[in-house]
Amino acid sequence: MPRSHAVALPVAYVALRILIVLNWLGGAAILALLTATIVAEEWTMTALGITPASPIRPMLMGLRAIAALGLIGVPLNHAVLARLVAIVQTVGRGDPFIAANAYRLNAIAWALLALQLLSMVIGGIGEALSTPDNPLDLDAGFSINGWLAVLLTFILARVFAEGALMREDLEGTV
Amino acid sequence: MAIAVKLDDLLHDRRMTLTELAERVGITIVNLSILKTGKARAIRFSTLEAICAALSCQPGDILEYLPDAAQEAEAA
Repeated sequence: MPRSHAVALPVAYVALRILIVLNWLGGAAILALLTATIVAEEWTMTALGITPASPIRPMLMGLRAIAALGLIGVPLNHAVLARLVAIVQTVGRGDPFIAANAYRLNAIAWALLALQLLSMVIGGIGEALSTPDNPLDLDAGFSINGWLAVLLTFILARVFAEGALMREDLEGTV
Repeated sequence: MAIAVKLDDLLHDRRMTLTELAERVGITIVNLSILKTGKARAIRFSTLEAICAALSCQPGDILEYLPDAAQEAEAA
């Protein structure tokens, strides 16, 4: 195995572990902010420097909806990252072409699909809230790359399933 | 599996051990044992050819189809 590949595996493992923690921390931050805007609206608005005359005020309900949808994304992100960690571990053990990885990739593909749909809904809300005077620039909406990743992952899951079957056959061959 | 492997009988007739056959055929004893005990799911033509050459026999002398075993397997 080339040295760069040998290094890539532990780097990927550590990076994924960090991303899992960051994902939950981000989710906790969104949840805290969302709760604060509901439980102590005025206090939060003052703390954020949003005056009663601010154009953000009428957008508040929409922004809350976006935050709530963002929270749905947290467990979906976790589903993707946790399964990627498990796949990386099987590569480390030298045994990645197993049926379990095919199921994991399939689950990742469905989670990515859900994330893409979520992103489109969030993008739609953003568009609805946005006005020429107060544009709301969200990094969400339809993404050709995102949908390509969904398609690619579904195909990869199928490739892994076939590969696992072929390997199983080969194992019993003398 | 309805295909029976008669390697044991052939080895007995030829007064040959599994180790000797493994050396002549060039595959491991573990793999030959898997074949002998009927646990193999498939056999390569190259393996069959090497065993036939080593034991001076035909593929039919090594493998046998047992229809009764097939029916029992289907019933189970």
